[in-house]
Order: sequence, then C-alpha cells, then structure tokens
Amino acid sequence: MSLIHKKTKKQKNLAMVIVGDRCIGCDACYVSCKTDWDVPAMKEAFRTKVFEVEGEDIHGNPTIGFLPTLCNHCDNAPCVDVCPTGASFKRDEDGIVLVEPDMCIGCKACMVACPYDARYYNEEEQTVDKCTFCLPRISNGLDPACVSTCVGESRNFGDLNDTDSNVSKMLKDATSIYKLKEDEGTSPNVYYVTLNY
Amino acid sequence: MSRHNISRRGFLKLAGASSVAITAGITGLPSPLKASAKQEATRGARFLKYDRGVESPSFCEMCFWNCGVNVYTRKGIIHKLEGNKLNPNNRGHLCAKGNAGIQSTYDADRIQSPLIRTGKRGEGKFKKVSWEEAYKYVYKKLNPLIDEFGPETLATFMHGTGEPYPHMLTMAIGSPNITIPAYSQCMGSREMAWALTFGTGVSGHETFDMSNSKHMMLFGRNMAGSVQVREAEDFAEGLARGSRLTYIDPRQSESAVRATDWLQINPGTDMALALGFIHVIIRDNLANMDFVRKYCYGYNELSKHIKKYTPKWASEKTGIDAKTIERIAWEFAKDAPNVVAIPPRRMTRYGNDTQTVRAIAILNALMGNWGVPGGIFIRNKVPVDFPKEELPDAPDARRADGVGEGEKYPLAPTSLGRTNGIYEATLTKEPYPIKAWLLYGTNPLCHSSVGVNNLYKAIDNLELLIAIDTQFSDTVMYADVIFPESTYLERYDAPFVQKDKTPFIALRKPAVKPIYDTKGCFEICKGIAKEFDLDDWFEKSPKEQVEELSQVLSKEQMETLEKDGVLLFEDVDPYPNASGSALNFSTSTGKVQLYVKDLEEMAKKQGDDFSPLPIYKDPVMPKEGEFRMLFGRTPHHSHARSQNNWVLLELQDDTPVWMNPKDAKKMGFKDGDMVSLVNAKTEHRSDHSERLKVTKRIKEGSVFIHHGFGHTTKAWTRGYEKGTKENWFISDGVDPLSGAAAFHNGFVKVVKA
Repeated sequence: MSLIHKKTKKQKNLAMVIVGDRCIGCDACYVSCKTDWDVPAMKEAFRTKVFEVEGEDIHGNPTIGFLPTLCNHCDNAPCVDVCPTGASFKRDEDGIVLVEPDMCIGCKACMVACPYDARYYNEEEQTVDKCTFCLPRISNGLDPACVSTCVGESRNFGDLNDTDSNVSKMLKDATSIYKLKEDEGTSPNVYYVTLNY
Repeated sequence: MSRHNISRRGFLKLAGASSVAITAGITGLPSPLKASAKQEATRGARFLKYDRGVESPSFCEMCFWNCGVNVYTRKGIIHKLEGNKLNPNNRGHLCAKGNAGIQSTYDADRIQSPLIRTGKRGEGKFKKVSWEEAYKYVYKKLNPLIDEFGPETLATFMHGTGEPYPHMLTMAIGSPNITIPAYSQCMGSREMAWALTFGTGVSGHETFDMSNSKHMMLFGRNMAGSVQVREAEDFAEGLARGSRLTYIDPRQSESAVRATDWLQINPGTDMALALGFIHVIIRDNLANMDFVRKYCYGYNELSKHIKKYTPKWASEKTGIDAKTIERIAWEFAKDAPNVVAIPPRRMTRYGNDTQTVRAIAILNALMGNWGVPGGIFIRNKVPVDFPKEELPDAPDARRADGVGEGEKYPLAPTSLGRTNGIYEATLTKEPYPIKAWLLYGTNPLCHSSVGVNNLYKAIDNLELLIAIDTQFSDTVMYADVIFPESTYLERYDAPFVQKDKTPFIALRKPAVKPIYDTKGCFEICKGIAKEFDLDDWFEKSPKEQVEELSQVLSKEQMETLEKDGVLLFEDVDPYPNASGSALNFSTSTGKVQLYVKDLEEMAKKQGDDFSPLPIYKDPVMPKEGEFRMLFGRTPHHSHARSQNNWVLLELQDDTPVWMNPKDAKKMGFKDGDMVSLVNAKTEHRSDHSERLKVTKRIKEGSVFIHHGFGHTTKAWTRGYEKGTKENWFISDGVDPLSGAAAFHNGFVKVVKA
C-alpha cells in the first residue's frame, strides 16, 4: 500500500463487473470503444482489449479462456501518483481515473507505472490516453460503449454504493470474485466474477 | 492471432519514455511542471459532454444477418453505430464487424464512380465513366450475346439486401440462371436435410432455442467464433443459465470455451457419431415416444437400420471412446425435450453433408424438441398482407447449374440455384455457353468450388463481367464494367421483413448522403433495364416501398416503426408443441420424416448417397505426409469482405497455420516457424508464408487456417496479400443430394517457407 493513498469516501463507487464465463472473445468492445473515442488506427492504441488465454488442464488437454481488460480505475492508482503535472487524477465523486489532455506533457511515466498496461500514447493528440469508464456517455445517461455492445453480456457497469445496482447484486451472488494483480496494492475497481445463473 | 502479440511496453521502449520525468513523479518531489490552480479546477470538465448526434434507423450489412442498428451522425458525419435494443436479431448489441461498419463508408479504397475496364482483365486499369455510358456499355456488350446464345447466357450471383433487383433484371432479360451462394457455398446441405426431415429449413436466423436449452450439442457449429449476434447471445445466455455443452469439432474453437465435453472428432465422421447416439437412444428406449408416435414417420425402419451403428463401431470411426458416446447419449436424452443438436451452418464439407445433417435432424426428432423451449422454436410470419409484387414470367430456358426437375440435382431449390454449377457450366460450356456474369456483392474468387485455377479459366470464357459492389474485391477487379453501390449507411432499402420467433419489420434509411458517385442497387438495375426497355418492372423504389407500408400498417404501427426503427408482432407462439397445439409438417407424409420415402426411387437408381436413412461412408483420407485442409470463421471478419477494414485488421491480419504438436514433431517444425502450404493435387504453392501455430487445439492429421484472407486486389491498400487464401487448397467436391459444394477433402503439404 502506498503511504500517500488518500482514503476519502466516494459518493459513487463506480465499477465494472465482468462475468468471465460470458465473454466469447468477439472483440465487439474493442471496436465500439475505438470508434466512439476516435482512438488512433494503430494496434498499440486501445482503451480496452480482450486476451485469449490458452492453457492446459491437469490431463494435458488444451483449454482456452478470454480475459477482457481495461483501466481498473484503482483506488490506489500508481499512474496518478507518478504524474508530474496532475494531468492524471482520480475523481473524488466517483473514483474514475482520468488524464486531462491539456495538462499532459506526454512523459509516459504513468504508462510505466500502470501494472495493467491500460494506457497508450496518442500520437495524434500527443498525450497519454486511457479508458474513462465512458464518463462522457455515463454522464449523459448511457452505458459505457463496451458494455452496451457486449454480445455475451459479460460486461456490467454501475455503482457499488447503490446496493440495488446490477453490479452490487452480482458481487453479492458471485460464487467467485477476482481482481487483477491485487497484490500490487492498487485496489482495482474491475471485478471478474463467476455466477451461478 | 495477431491480437496476442502486442506489447505496449515494447512500443513504449521504442517511443522513448522520459526517465527524468518518471523520476520526478515517482519520488513525489515538488515539480516545476505542477499545474496551476485554474487548470486543477477545470480538469476533466471536457469528459462530461457527449453529443450523441442525430439518430437514424438501419440494419447492419457487414454480414448478411441484418442486426438492428441506430446510426448516429454529428454534423452530417457518422460518428457511432449502436445496436437497436428492440431488434430481436441483436437486442442492442453489435459484434466487432457491426461496430466497424462506419469504415465501410469512409474508405477511400471504395469504388467511387462507374468504371469501364481499359487494361487487360484483372490488371486493374479502369476509366471513370458516366452512369449513362456504363449502362449503354452493358447493353452494347450483352445484347449481341443474348442474340447469339439466348438470354440464358447471362448468369447472376447475388448476396445482399439489394438482391431483389438483379433478380428482377435477370428474370426480365429472360435468364433462369440466378444463384445465391448462401446455398451451394454454405448452408445448402443443411437446409436440404432439414427440409427432407421437418418440411422446413433451419433458416439464416437459426431456430435453435439455445438460451432455454439444458443441453446444446454443437456439431462443428462455432456459435461464438462465427458471431451472428443473436445466436452468440443465446449461446452465452444458455451457458450462463447452466446448459450442458457438447462441442464436436476437430478444432477447439472459441465455442469450446465452456464445453462440458469437447469431442475432438476425426474429421468427416460426424455422421458416425450421430448414428452412434441414435443407436444408444433407440437401444435403451430413450426416445420421446409420445412425440415419435404422434408426429414421426419411419421409426421402425430407423430402429432396424440403426442396429449396426453401435457405440463401439462409432468409436472406431470417430476416435471418441464408446463409453463417452453412451454417456452423452444418456445425458442428452435425460434433459429432453429441452435439448438441441445443432448442425454446422456452412455445411459444405465432406460430400456426405446432407446425410450427416439428416442424422442430426433425426437425433432432434427423437428428443421431441420441435416447438419446445430449449429445443427448436417455430418461426412465425409477419401477419401483414403486403402488396403483391408483379414478377416477369419464369424464363423458359433450362438452367445451367443442374437444378430443376429432370436435372442432376432435382431437389435443389431453383430460388437459390447452385453457384458451383454456374462456375462449372461457364468453364465447360455445358449444357450451354455462359458468356456473361452479373455479380452483385459476390466474390467468386474468394468462395470458389471449382478451385481457383479453374475459376480464372472460367472467367476467361466470359465475354462480359458486370459487377455491382461497394468495393473492389478480387473478382470485381476482373470486371469489364463496374457499378458502385452506395453502402448500407447511405441508402434506402426495402422494408426488412423477418419471419421469426417474434416476427418483425425493420427500417433502413440513409444516415448520410452518398459520399462518392454511387447509387443504390435498385437505381443501378433500373438503369441497366432501361437500356433493354425493361425498366417498367422497376416500379417502386426502396424509398417508395417503405412509404407504402402506411397502406398496410395502422397509423399507430407506422409511428412505432418510425420511432423505434423496428415493429414487433409479439402475439405469436414459438412453442406450439409445449403449449399443446397440434403441429404441422410440410413434408410429403405430413410428418417428421425419420425415413424419407421421397428418396426411395432415387436411392434405387443412384445408390446409398440417396438412401431414405443415412448410410455411413468413410471420408477420403490424406496420403502419408499430407494434411487435411480445414478452415473456418474468425470472429473478427465477415466472409472475405472485411479484410480491408482497418480496425478489423488490427484484430486479425494473418492466418497462422494450426498444426498438432505430434505432427509438428514428425515434420521437424516448431511453433513460430514460417511455413507455406502446397496443394497436394494441383501442387500450387502459396506465395504467402505463415506462422506455424503448434497446438493441441487441432486434431492430428489436419491443419487449419481462418477463412477470408489472401486478397490479390491491389485496390485494397490495407488488406492486400494479408494472410493465405484457403481457396487454393480446398476440394471441389459436390454433395450428390443437395448439389452444394464439399470443401474439406482438400489435402496439403506443409513446407518451410
């Protein structure tokens, strides 16, 4: 845990809950996101991405699975800590981590600091860019672009402070909950769950 | 797949991060770069605004399943496509391809005006001409051919929402040779088998009720990887609700992710497995006999016939152990009738395809899952009397593709025809010369069944090749005259009427004006027809057809359709069997035909392939040192149409060759080696080298690549020569019953590049 972590109660606790079993690896999220946010046309530039994970079971049979990834909007965000200008910051009201392009000098310190490889350098804008939990969309009553298009309805988004929200219920009902690289002390807000329904 | 090999860390090194700034940040020292109070105060404000823009209704055309789309434009530029939540085809979602639809319009590689060829065929030299010149060119070239060879010398291939218009044009000219590749290059054998058994096809929007199923049994049907949105949704939903999944495929595709059992079957033996299941079900009295007695024809014949197909026998053929076959047959029957056995969609595989799907259809029938939740639902018609369209009389001429009464493939539907039959006729000039092709949205060089070599020769036999398309495909590059079609985001189309679980009508209106000198397919075909004085047949434009809906729909319905882009007719029953209604089957016996009496005569004359009950035959096998060439869909591309779309290319721009580790060891190959494929029969060697993907996910003895790559059209600045074109390596077989193609008996050698 970082010593400089501020513990303030967020009005909203926005989170993504991904039902791992429902992801079919179609990458609709990748394209929907790139299109909505004019992410440059290059492979290295993306805000969300699905990894196909190949493995073997104990019998030596091949297995595959899909791992959707995006910014974890960490409560203890290393990218915010290292930003020399304050361009990378975490919103008090809902916990969303943003990069303010006007303040970003493109030093890429945040890209190095992020354990999730969630940021990319936008050559066109000359700034670092990343997932905003679709703040512009959710501020206007829409679901995030990746959630709204998700074919398997794997991705779910909402406020964990609201006990009636879809995501709160899912975490309550989940038979397993997993977060990526929790041992890095980042307190991520993207949950991977297994459900019994 | 390229998507696994991206490291932004690697990219970061190249870009050169500033270590000074990193140090300053990490140590938390006061920095001269710190923002001003004003900056701090307004930081992030831009992220609160979102201009959704103007919404207009459409349906997708990135593939052919027409998901509902809302198109959003800002200042006349399309900004975003979103799924229409009310459209049953996609319930608000779009796949990667659908989301990438904008690029199809804003693509400088598009065909931007009518063109006439100036160079040699295929050279890609064209001159820009006016629409009038292009229309007149068609008349000048086609009319003498009609005079000499008769109107049937024109053959038309169509795929896309504008199909009615080339259809009308070809009928009016008087040629019967109209084909839709979706039959002979794709679903033909499946639809034939279903029709023989149940009296109706599966249809493009499949009738499998996966979301309610307790056990889905997929015979090489890659629900997750060949993404048609509703099917993929239902598949994911069914799994999430706890359905068992038996996935049968020599390759572990995306659909195997959560399989209860993945059966890595020997290629070409699916029929043996289905027969093995049926044997256990009948032997152990597991069939739904209420349904069988009431609705099925030929149970006794089937019982006798199935005796020899024991699990032990099936095990020897399929490579799946007999105990597993017994267990899965029991599990499947235990959950009946809420179970479904699903045949492949592109069932152009081993040449025994119709009979293989017959066995799968019988397996369903024995479960009594027709018209039951979790089984097979019933499609209902849109209950509206649409104005009847007047069509020209059916042309007198005999078809060239072997379809029709008294022909080689009497069962194949004349409404769809055999594309492969037209290729062959063009090549052999039998039964008569085909001298002109009209292509609408089709690309034979990328879905061939006579082998690409021969297809080039067939094209050489043409005096005239007319293309209507949005983009320069490999085949369009060989055209003599090209008509640029407006994309689906730029044009009206006729109302989309879908017979379905919940039938509906959807609208497509142009979201933007055509950005180049293009027209809709209606206007193009009418323009050509006018030269022949046949334009009277083109009475109502798509826009007028949309407007005409107000004559058959109520004011309220029209308002809903205009507002929502879709109008649902929900007062229907997709599960009549479950709700106790009597079922009707439009087969010749009026029953579900376990035994197809209609085939008796053909079987007597033409042998086992036509048997009223499926008779198993071993597939042809590769020789030592050769591999069976398998191919299939990737979730990231539509057929061979989308490989020039930049965002989809980011997801996949190559076709690694999958090979089993045992085969790789034998060959002395390792993962990541660069290899090329050589056709064992024609000795054609791919001029493209591919990365070898050594994986147990593919069965020994077979190699696999994804479909749709290896384009030779230089007009595609991004997709040109990306990946290997599977067409060079597939077989040119034909299923004797359906007349559809058989691609999976092609064999290759794999050599170091």
